[in-house]
Amino acid sequence: MSEKNTTVLIVDDEEMVTTALRSFLQLETSYRVLTFNSPLEALESTDLEWIDVVVADFMMPEMDGITFLKAVRERRPEVTRILLTGYADKENAIRAINEAGLYYYLEKPWDNDHLQLVLRNGAERTALFRELDAKVSELESAHDDLAGIRERLIRALL
Amino acid sequence: MTEHERGSLQELMAGLAHELYTPLGAIRSNRDVLQRVIARLSDILADEAVEEDEVEQIRGLVKTLDEVVEVDQLAVDMITDLVASVRDHGRTDEAIKRSVDLHEGLESTLLLLGHELKHRIEVVKEYSDLPRVECFPSQLNQVFTNLLLNASQAIADEGTITIRSYAAAGDVVVEISDTGSGIAPQDLERVFDVGFTTKPTPSGIGLGLGICREIVERQGGRIEVESRVGEGSTFRVILPVGAGEASAAR
Repeated sequence: MSEKNTTVLIVDDEEMVTTALRSFLQLETSYRVLTFNSPLEALESTDLEWIDVVVADFMMPEMDGITFLKAVRERRPEVTRILLTGYADKENAIRAINEAGLYYYLEKPWDNDHLQLVLRNGAERTALFRELDAKVSELESAHDDLAGIRERLIRALL
Repeated sequence: MTEHERGSLQELMAGLAHELYTPLGAIRSNRDVLQRVIARLSDILADEAVEEDEVEQIRGLVKTLDEVVEVDQLAVDMITDLVASVRDHGRTDEAIKRSVDLHEGLESTLLLLGHELKHRIEVVKEYSDLPRVECFPSQLNQVFTNLLLNASQAIADEGTITIRSYAAAGDVVVEISDTGSGIAPQDLERVFDVGFTTKPTPSGIGLGLGICREIVERQGGRIEVESRVGEGSTFRVILPVGAGEASAAR
């Protein structure tokens, strides 16, 4: 999957963080980058936009990053979820992994090369997840078709 | 410094360190972006002639530079403010009275406690015009820190802290009210006793209300409390304007 078709959504209540991340990603990648300073607005956009990877801050007004990622997981389970936080304590890291099904826990101040790698792997993970989902649907539909054929055959033969 | 005070100070410093990671994160990322932009520009300029499409690239890079400069300015301002608030609180050996704007002390204290208050507690400020007060500012800041931390810790989940200031009959008054758990009547008389605490573990800045009262009284003022269990508490610091008025007029 090409970077061009990949959307990264970033939410952090500090505009300096979202702007810095956008500057970097626009320079070095061709991801479509959506940035939000309000988790509620970001959550709304997950209903409207095609999204592959979500990066969320932890301490935000309205809702914390773990609650946000948990809500994203409920709406779009295939989207890869990353927490980017300056409040790195073990308790919250464990909570994030257990409650939000976290893919990666990044600490501030982050390293851009590392972030880029995590995003690339995260986007790939989402793409694989979607591919798998599509294959399972294909299999299910093939299975339904077979069941239909089998039923027709039985009826024809009896 | 007691063990209790040291532990609390460490906690406050840990909160501050976390607070600093936001602007530091932005600056670190931007420094890396600058390096990359310089490399791109050098590449473009390495050729003898600059092509038309390269001019477009340069425009894009300049836009990135603009963003970087703007964000770095905000980040540096944020770090400067945070460090200034620590400095203002750190001057415990200050022996000379100064003419002080109490609102400045309150604002710097709020900044320092950002980590403790942020997103959980709404701070309502009802400031009136105050004359400057002649006092030991850093000691007074510690009183404010202690009162605000106590107020924050009295609020279990979410709530409001109201800071009210006004001048009355040669005094200036700063009231700090919380919508927290309140203080039981039998404890209310003892809250200003040195060493008195209802906290199961040391979690405040650690000065204790007893020392707060000592500080305020040393400056010729007094400290009062009103509280109702389940409704919250109000602490009132009353300071004489003293020579402050004269120095403000000078």
